[in-house]
Amino acid sequence: MIVKNGESSLDHKTVNRRLIKENVSYRTFLSRNSENRGKILIFICASLIMAATMSITLFLTLQGIRSFTVDGLNPIKFLTGIHWNPESHQHASYGALPFIFGSFTVTILAALIAAPIGIGSALFMTEIAKTWGQKMLQPVIEILVGIPSVVYGLIGLSVIVPFIRSQFGGLGFGMLAAAIVVGIMILPTVASLAADAIKSVPDEWRQASYALGATKWQTIYKVVIPAALPSLLTAVVLGMARAFGEALAVQMVIGNAKVLPHSLIEPAATLTTMITLSMGHTTDGSVLNDALWSLGLILLIMTYIFIILIRFLSKRGRLS
Amino acid sequence: MLTQLKENIVYPEPKKQNIIIEVNELNVYYKNNHAVKNVSLPIRERSITALIGPSGCGKSTFLRTINRMNDLIPGAKCQGEIMYDGINLLDKKIDVVALRKEIGMVFQKPNPFPKSIYENIAMPLKFAGIRGKKRLNDIVEESLYQAALLDEVKDRLSQSALSLSGGQQQRLCIARALALKPKVLLLDEPTSALDPVSSAKIEDLLLSLKKQVSLAVVTHNMQQAARIADQTAFFYEGEVVEYNDTSIMFTKPVYKKTEDYINGRFG
Repeated sequence: MIVKNGESSLDHKTVNRRLIKENVSYRTFLSRNSENRGKILIFICASLIMAATMSITLFLTLQGIRSFTVDGLNPIKFLTGIHWNPESHQHASYGALPFIFGSFTVTILAALIAAPIGIGSALFMTEIAKTWGQKMLQPVIEILVGIPSVVYGLIGLSVIVPFIRSQFGGLGFGMLAAAIVVGIMILPTVASLAADAIKSVPDEWRQASYALGATKWQTIYKVVIPAALPSLLTAVVLGMARAFGEALAVQMVIGNAKVLPHSLIEPAATLTTMITLSMGHTTDGSVLNDALWSLGLILLIMTYIFIILIRFLSKRGRLS
Repeated sequence: MLTQLKENIVYPEPKKQNIIIEVNELNVYYKNNHAVKNVSLPIRERSITALIGPSGCGKSTFLRTINRMNDLIPGAKCQGEIMYDGINLLDKKIDVVALRKEIGMVFQKPNPFPKSIYENIAMPLKFAGIRGKKRLNDIVEESLYQAALLDEVKDRLSQSALSLSGGQQQRLCIARALALKPKVLLLDEPTSALDPVSSAKIEDLLLSLKKQVSLAVVTHNMQQAARIADQTAFFYEGEVVEYNDTSIMFTKPVYKKTEDYINGRFG
């Protein structure tokens, strides 16, 4: 029997109705044996999340462009200017480049610290000392994830800043201290995601490698790492996204100078530290307040770029 | 050869000229499971030895013990002798990496690396430190030719190995195992994941390969063993019940158990 799309041959026949769907009506829509109750509940949860994301984006965009539309700041000058001097009455200037530069430098340096150590410890945990690694290293990493960022900041303030001061001179506050603190902070994220990535490499490839006379190290760097590479990159980028958004710990060790620093050990600032430091002292609708919203908008855009990057990397990782 | 061997190991004369691996009273344990019990078995040079038997009878374990792949399984323990080229392969001082270059292995499920066809075969060469584009190209081509795959893939060597069909992937894995010119090739149910046509191609390939390497094949398929093997060993519950020339084994088996299994009465 040929049934055309959207039609049913059972419509006009007197047949046993037991196996045939009832017509949807107001009475049966929410009945106990209908699937619709569960579907609606789940749909509400999903739409809440979407609504939250969309409204945050929309709100931040509207607030963030006020400084350009209402206060008349030049967007190019805002992004490229190196002087941040909102207090001056005659020559108030809003150049966000030092903070953008600070955020990127701290993030990249933190990734440079966290990526090799994180991936290395993930390899140790999954490939070299399996039982010991799972028993000891995994809990240690979980504890590291759970430590509040203010504690990392305190340790940075009392250990890393004095160390840099004694080794390189200067105040010790700066992007180097911030990068080390944030690098240690994102280390567990990178390590546990990298460990998952390495664990998901099929064992048959390792078997094949060993059977072809590869040593353990050859198996790791010729087979396991290339196979896990897209996921490993995702782990690093996710860690970088975390580093980019970190405010508190960075604020405690970076020195918070609103200038373009000349070296890694001079006080500097990032987008996040500027927002947390200044937001409390501004009034709604003031130019400074709007400019800080614009910094927030830059952060949001960067987060989106990180997410797109992660999606791109994980899509590329799926092998045909 | 197995360069890590030290002088205090005795090098006995091979007992028979045409035996390449002689296993004597081999016992393998996985924690509390006695998987291989007192197995003594020769693998003859330039011939195909089939290992048959019901699932879980220890034939795969036996095969994996020969090139020490069992070392990778925690809790696996081996006792006995596997004599190859005058040395016991179970000795602590054996360099397993060098050993696996001489005794290759092909697995049940085709397991090419997620790389190009060319790279798959170049991989063991790189592991062995063989360099030079010309040399790699020659060996890759030769290996593919030996594995009867060259005509099918010569125009797309740079494509992903995962784009090949299952049977082609398995032949690629055989080509890859041949790249280092092993003396012995161990195959663990190489056709059980393949369709009949691909299986037939692999069988033809194995028959042509036996001119250059000695092969040991684990198989569930009795007809396959009868078609390709020169010698057959029947494993049952970790022991070798019977070992003989295939022609004798399949026509006049000595033991009732063997006859029952060959005739499909259990297993």
